[in-house]
Amino acid sequence: MPVLANASPESFPRLPSRGGFGLKPEHFREILAAPPDIGFVEIHAENYMVAGGPFHHYLERIRSLYPLSIHGVGLSIGAETAPDEAHLDRLAALISRYQPESFSEHLAWSSHGTTFLNDLLPVPYCTESLNRVCNHIDRVQERLGLRMLLENPATYVEFDASTLSETDFISEIVRRTGCGLLLDVNNVYVSAVNHHRDARSVIRAMPLAAVHQIHLAGFATDSDADGYPLLIDSHGSPVAQVVWDLYAFALDYLGPVATLIERDNDIPALPVLVAEVQQAEALLRAAAVSKARLPQGLAV
Amino acid sequence: MSPQARFAASLLTPGSRCPPGLMTWNGSDPGRRFDVYRNNVMVSLIDALADSCPVAEALVGTRFFRAMAGIFVCANLPVSPVMAHYGKGFDAFIRTFEPAAGVPYLADVARLELLRVQAFHAADAVPLKSADLAHVLANADALPGARIALHPSVAVMPSPFAIASLWLAHQSDDVSAALGGVDAMRAEAVLISRVGLDVTMFSIDAATSVFVTSLAADMALASAAGRAQATDPAFDIPAALALLLRGEAMIAINFPESMLND
Amino acid sequence: MNKQITAASLAFAFGTAIAVAAMPVAAEEKTMEKEKCFGIAMKGKNDCKAGAGTSCAGTSKMDYQGNSWSFVPKGTCEKTASPTSPSGKGQLAEFKEKKA
Repeated sequence: MPVLANASPESFPRLPSRGGFGLKPEHFREILAAPPDIGFVEIHAENYMVAGGPFHHYLERIRSLYPLSIHGVGLSIGAETAPDEAHLDRLAALISRYQPESFSEHLAWSSHGTTFLNDLLPVPYCTESLNRVCNHIDRVQERLGLRMLLENPATYVEFDASTLSETDFISEIVRRTGCGLLLDVNNVYVSAVNHHRDARSVIRAMPLAAVHQIHLAGFATDSDADGYPLLIDSHGSPVAQVVWDLYAFALDYLGPVATLIERDNDIPALPVLVAEVQQAEALLRAAAVSKARLPQGLAV
Repeated sequence: MSPQARFAASLLTPGSRCPPGLMTWNGSDPGRRFDVYRNNVMVSLIDALADSCPVAEALVGTRFFRAMAGIFVCANLPVSPVMAHYGKGFDAFIRTFEPAAGVPYLADVARLELLRVQAFHAADAVPLKSADLAHVLANADALPGARIALHPSVAVMPSPFAIASLWLAHQSDDVSAALGGVDAMRAEAVLISRVGLDVTMFSIDAATSVFVTSLAADMALASAAGRAQATDPAFDIPAALALLLRGEAMIAINFPESMLND
Repeated sequence: MNKQITAASLAFAFGTAIAVAAMPVAAEEKTMEKEKCFGIAMKGKNDCKAGAGTSCAGTSKMDYQGNSWSFVPKGTCEKTASPTSPSGKGQLAEFKEKKA
């Protein structure tokens, strides 16, 4: 089994504890013409699983300027069947080519049999599902020769079959597989509202020592069949103030952690994204100061 | 059926009940929440087709296009997580889609747009420049049997409809005015090639279309030229070669000897 | 009446092609592409967002008997000089909007 040069299973991803944004083709040329002062960029792995052309041309150049996070959206780790080996091969090739500082995927499924459903679908939090997800993560980490980060999901329904809380489920995955956690603060908020939980308690109950990256994004507001709010993880608007507040709360426990501004819909002009990254970096600097003042502040 | 099989089946069956085993904190109907997933699947896949085929969408309007794409999606779900390649067969579907029969060129325009996406993502290769052709002239005797390797981005699309003019008119600031001068029922052929990083289209005549298609099928240069000439005795070989050169469409000229030596 | 395709004629064709390709592009050049930003404007199609939940795209069945309004082409095809083929004549009328 090929093991990638710079990524032994023991090494954890090392993005700088700064802000970054999701790289969009709309911004390729502008970034190269005047590289903004951000800490890293992130790509969706599957968008670069093409043979050649402008996407690779620009990614190669931009990657030489910034640390890189590769974020998978199609591995279907939560599926009933093992991860697709052909897809793992594609991921391994991409990781080998671009040598990212971080690789992450979702706690979700998106393929069933040979059908790709192009959405991140929920898994029940039960023992059977836990064992399966852990086996799949073991296989991914073995094949890719790295420790991956797993992202907590935004969900719209819960399952009768669930016997564990989401945080216990994720904590147990981290404990068993040694993977890290990509803490999506927007997803915590969206799921907390959708399932009537306290978002801050959810943050506190996450395996915070394993957090190596944070995602922030905007959500849309809908309502459920009884008129209660149903939040949608739309990535189509700026980060909401309530999510910034939750982020600051999480940083009190975590100290500074690499933080990504995700935007996949209604992509704004580059300076707008950079301003959001700077907003995150201001909170990261504040977290660094308070952490220096209270070295024992990480109460986990 | 496994739980995910049931979940997927419900997801893909509009109007059906949501799968069993779902719950909500307030006892509200989980079906409404499940519909978020249903919509995500359909909307994202229809969006993928709309992103690939903006001119086809403009031709019939967003409402028609999305309704048509939705029917295609239900019968042709992606089989790979790599969405850049999704949409194969969409043009063939449109060709048989009865409500689109009044817009007979729609399928070919969609096909042209899908070919552009594939050209965009095709493998990289260094194209031949004029300076690289010195050895060609030095080996003139072997030219009739030589084979021209085309760039991976190259595609040829002949059509009984004015696909190139229709596409071009939609790049205009005043699409209505630009379309007024287009006879949609006139046959056109297009050569697609990535020039530098830009997917570029060249309007070509029928003989050139045959010539490039023959080269793509690994036919020897003299045979390909012969077939083109049979299509149209006025076939202009120098012009066709100049187009391939300017379109960065050639990556190698392989002579029979060198092939034997391989 | 085909011209003979020979080694000499092909060599001549290449020589001419090199000269032609080196010339500045004429005004009536056959390149159609002027949308130079296309390459950059193309989106990546994989992402991890969710669409707005209010759309009913996934919840209602689309059929063109019961949903005829959706299946009337209402776009720029109406502006082309020849929007319908001889065989397709009448289609636009047939799928006309039915108002209640």
